[in-house]
Amino acid sequence: MLAVLLLGPALGPGYLLTYDMVWVPDLALRSDFLGLGSALPRAVPSDAVVAVLDEVVPGMLLQKLMLLGALVTGGVGAAALAGSALSARLVAVSVYVWSPFVIERLWIGHWPLVLCWAVLPWLVRQGVRLREDPRVGSTLPVLLLIGSLSANAGLMAAATLLAVGATRRSTPRMVALLLAANAPWLVAGVLHVGEARSSSAGAVFGLDAEGTLPAPVAALTSGGIWNAEVVPDSRTQLLLPLVLTLVIGALAVAGYRPMARRLGRRTTTALVVLWAIGYAVAIVSWATPDLVGWLAETLPAGGLLRDGSRWLALCAPLTAVVVAEGATRWAGRVPQRFAVAAALVPLAFMPDAAWGVGGTLRPADYPDDWAVARSELGDGRGDLLVLPFTSYRQPAWNHDHKVLDPLPRFLEPNYVVNDELAVDGRIIAGEDPRVPDVLDALALPSAGERADALGALGIGAVARDLSQPVAGYEAPVAGTVVHRGAGLEVTLLDVTVDRRDTPAEWWVALLAAWTAYVGLAAVAVANLVRRVAPRMAVRPRDG
Amino acid sequence: MQAFIITFASVIVGGGLAGATVVGLVNSQTAPPENSPANVSNPVLEYGATK
Repeated sequence: MLAVLLLGPALGPGYLLTYDMVWVPDLALRSDFLGLGSALPRAVPSDAVVAVLDEVVPGMLLQKLMLLGALVTGGVGAAALAGSALSARLVAVSVYVWSPFVIERLWIGHWPLVLCWAVLPWLVRQGVRLREDPRVGSTLPVLLLIGSLSANAGLMAAATLLAVGATRRSTPRMVALLLAANAPWLVAGVLHVGEARSSSAGAVFGLDAEGTLPAPVAALTSGGIWNAEVVPDSRTQLLLPLVLTLVIGALAVAGYRPMARRLGRRTTTALVVLWAIGYAVAIVSWATPDLVGWLAETLPAGGLLRDGSRWLALCAPLTAVVVAEGATRWAGRVPQRFAVAAALVPLAFMPDAAWGVGGTLRPADYPDDWAVARSELGDGRGDLLVLPFTSYRQPAWNHDHKVLDPLPRFLEPNYVVNDELAVDGRIIAGEDPRVPDVLDALALPSAGERADALGALGIGAVARDLSQPVAGYEAPVAGTVVHRGAGLEVTLLDVTVDRRDTPAEWWVALLAAWTAYVGLAAVAVANLVRRVAPRMAVRPRDG
Repeated sequence: MQAFIITFASVIVGGGLAGATVVGLVNSQTAPPENSPANVSNPVLEYGATK
């Protein structure tokens, strides 16, 4: 119910397209989704997983299932961690779900991160189980697959499982499972190590104040995302979040001892350590942006630290459980109905988050034109270039909401997009080495020369979004127009397209990684069948 | 005196011409061309804002 209240119109017909959240009717699987592209593989394995699943479940329905499933899974997981008292369970659910972290990350479209957050309480429970019973089972592999759909998410899922469950006996098996679940992005990341350094200007993505609420205080209640555009108004007032912080702090102090008694020293220590890591990374990204920028620019994968408030997901399990314990302790002194009402406290402090942040998270329908263009282009010849050469759009058909350009994912070929980002009027350089080459090609004087140069870069088609304004220079490219609609034009380049050569060792390495990933899913299915089959076999004899 | 005036005028005129040429050359090399690939990326839409 809380999930439905939070998502509201987002569950209606259409596609929720908000900032980085891009879902299309039928995402075509392509080699770049496996980690073979020229850009840093930020959406490995999430894009490939969606592309496979939407062959079974339509993309629109799959997105709704993901959104609703994430919030329900997270909430039920928090309740399961919180013990048996009804008041504790209700408080745990509302603290876990109705949090700035969930709302802001949904709004900015970081859905793999939200899925990771959803499975963390379950990974805590699995970790506790693994200390006694080292069998893998069927649930743990599924949780790891869901929780490791991006690099940040995979690291946090791994940290949680290891912190809670690692023992001398269980660790080797656990590490093997974690390597399999994270193999696609790990291997793709290693293969792209040359591009794995990010601009130091990306330090702008660190933890930030919310309105007048200082960043360290905002982080205590899991807020503090860098982008002020996705912060609910109620979080930008000083009073409400400050009182919420005090209430949560008081309940946490009251609940710590009972929680430690119930969960035991090992689990409690693990949850506290995870909380401290999450909070510390967030604070470092706020307090020392230059250091984080230097790390991103210097160390491969150092950019994983720059959006520091992502790591606040690690704080969520402890916060929900300890606050729930505090509320239960307090509930012993007041009538039960008041204790249950305590579950409504987070809602009262962030009422504008309800109903998809007051109707902001509304789905949209793609222009009909796009489906026609997709069928006319097919898988094209070579890669696709989308113009204007910018990464974000604000289409009128998407209620004028910003979104990562969905057109490349809507069409079928591999694509080149401009991975430069603009924040606060500053351009943050991307990592794809082909982007400067594409800009050079577009600067050539004639349409024919541009087409030749793009062909040499492996680009065989250009899709031009006519609904987006450009400042004078549209960089026309010579070729055969295969589609021209009201808002979209697609041109096939009549030139020799130099296909990108992928080294054989890349194929081998990624084949091994994906085999491990799929193998983990097979382990889950096999263990499920092994558990269920004996019961099925017994049933006829019973009958 | 006349030679001095001619020399002085030559220096002024020559210097002016040289200056104008250098300024013109620098401008022609540094001013953004009318057809710039930067324009095909414009207007840049902000991903977000911190304030």
